[in-house]
Amino acid sequence: MFFAHGFGCDQNMFRLLTPQFESRYKVVLFDLVGAGLSDLQAYDPAKYNTLQGYADDVLELVEQYASGPAIFIGHSVGAMIGMLASVKKPGVFAAHIMVGPSPCYINDGDYIGGFSRADIESLLDTMQGNYLGWSSNMAPAIMGAPDQPELDTELTNSFCRTDPEIAKQFARVTFLSDNRAELPWLTAPTLILQCTDDIIAPMTVGEYLHRTLPHSTLAVIENVGHCPHLSAPSLCSSAINEFLVQEAL
Amino acid sequence: MHQDAPSSDAAAFLDDAPCGLLQTDAQGIVQWANQLFCTWVGYAYADIVGRRKIQDFFTTGGRIFHQTHWVPLMQMQNSVSEVKFDIISADGKSIPTIINGIRSQRSGVIVHNLALFIARDRDRYERELVKASERLKAVAARSAELEVIASDRALFAEQMMGVVSHDLRNPLATIDLSAMVVAAGDLGAHQQAALARITRATSRAVRLIHDLLDFTQARLGKGMGIARADVDLHAIMSDSVDELRSAFPGRELLHRAEGAGRCEADADRLMQLTGNLVTNAITYGRADSPVIITSRIAEDECTISVHNVGQPIDAASIAVLFEPMARGAAMPDGTRSIGLGLYIVREIAKAHHGIVTVTSNADEGTTFAATFTRRASGTMHIG
Repeated sequence: MFFAHGFGCDQNMFRLLTPQFESRYKVVLFDLVGAGLSDLQAYDPAKYNTLQGYADDVLELVEQYASGPAIFIGHSVGAMIGMLASVKKPGVFAAHIMVGPSPCYINDGDYIGGFSRADIESLLDTMQGNYLGWSSNMAPAIMGAPDQPELDTELTNSFCRTDPEIAKQFARVTFLSDNRAELPWLTAPTLILQCTDDIIAPMTVGEYLHRTLPHSTLAVIENVGHCPHLSAPSLCSSAINEFLVQEAL
Repeated sequence: MHQDAPSSDAAAFLDDAPCGLLQTDAQGIVQWANQLFCTWVGYAYADIVGRRKIQDFFTTGGRIFHQTHWVPLMQMQNSVSEVKFDIISADGKSIPTIINGIRSQRSGVIVHNLALFIARDRDRYERELVKASERLKAVAARSAELEVIASDRALFAEQMMGVVSHDLRNPLATIDLSAMVVAAGDLGAHQQAALARITRATSRAVRLIHDLLDFTQARLGKGMGIARADVDLHAIMSDSVDELRSAFPGRELLHRAEGAGRCEADADRLMQLTGNLVTNAITYGRADSPVIITSRIAEDECTISVHNVGQPIDAASIAVLFEPMARGAAMPDGTRSIGLGLYIVREIAKAHHGIVTVTSNADEGTTFAATFTRRASGTMHIG
């Protein structure tokens, strides 16, 4: 079971979800190149100028680490990266689980992705003002983590800390991507985990995906926000388990 | 002592605190806001609390960033500090703020306590920095571009110079050879004088071509090429002065040798260096006084100096003397076409790990001295 994080943070995003599957599946967690603790030397701006660059990495990971049928769980843009990997090499994944996916963030005619190009520019502008401790040697002083002593204070912001130039390019590649044309080619069974209130992947987008993907299941999670695997992990894992039983995986 | 509601003093302090203070639930719905925050955003307390989320005051980009960065960080580490969001007020104005937040549980319910600080100056400063770095990038790109153009041009000029000089040698050799053939015949005094002028002009043209080639190589290529070998410096200088005497009939050239021993140097290049310095001394020096060429061998260093009496070189000229194309103000017409001589002298000295100095005044005259290491592996101790 391969877990791919989305735009913003790294593989730590799945820390509440993976314990549900570790006993039954071989869990493979990774950081997309450029994010988290990935090797920044490996970041090639030309390769990662499209999501296909990341999808090719996923195919290499499967080659190296998969034993038996592989399942892909992707959050947000991570879901689309997995989809592109499957389209390039059909059959590489026995099933896809998409958490808060969106094939296209920009509104286009009848299609409502939720954003305009100007909105993406304003995101880049916000990112410009936030390096999240990237440029300083020491993470900013943590203001206390009352309930989670296991969190090392040195980890402050590290999950979301990225080289500013890479973060900007990834934001552009993510939010300006349009993968609607590839969707009909994803024949593997797919679970769409759609949140009830998610500005990044609104309900209409989940419904569009469900209509367009040849073999999909739509599960609506009662959740506000874009990260149900953090804010509603048990709802997520039960929907995933149900899907895995249904697909006999 | 724990109080659920702040005392009235404390409440007044919170309302008037010099920062915006908010309490929201896990979704961001505002549950309490201080007076300053309400003033900033231009809404009444009742229009905010329970009705709006903190992210409602953000730009769309800010909302995406909030969902993709702030929310996961809050959930994973229970606090986030120094995140910059633009707050949009009721009248559409944008206020840059820095937000710190703590996530905690109160009676089993998650609450977020947020403090907002206005960061207008920081925002302006950052934008200036971004602009400056963009300008820097543009300048760096332009300079890299210019560097490529310049190196292309230099290469082209070098190749041009090489081709032209090489092609000029052949016709000059033909002229020289033909002059020798003509000289063997029966000539009148008039024709002999004309032939001598042809021969002199030809050898000057050949020297000029050599200078040009050396200049091109030193200036645009990989530096002046020399081959140092074990030589007798005084003997070389003696031969060189003999040759120069025949080139400048009617002028007195004296050679002085100081010290003894051998050194490692490029004999042809040292003769070229001496020739250039002596030509200058003849050109600028007084015709009725000798030019003195001294070769000196010391323990670690060798010096070739050329002295003449005459009008001193002014300080302004000395400063640019060794630059290519520089020429003395008092230079008689037609002696040299371009001022490459001293430039080449300096390059030859440099290639021998050495330097050239000049002293010039009315009492003592002018002395050019090239000092270089005695051994190829040696280094100069200047000063």
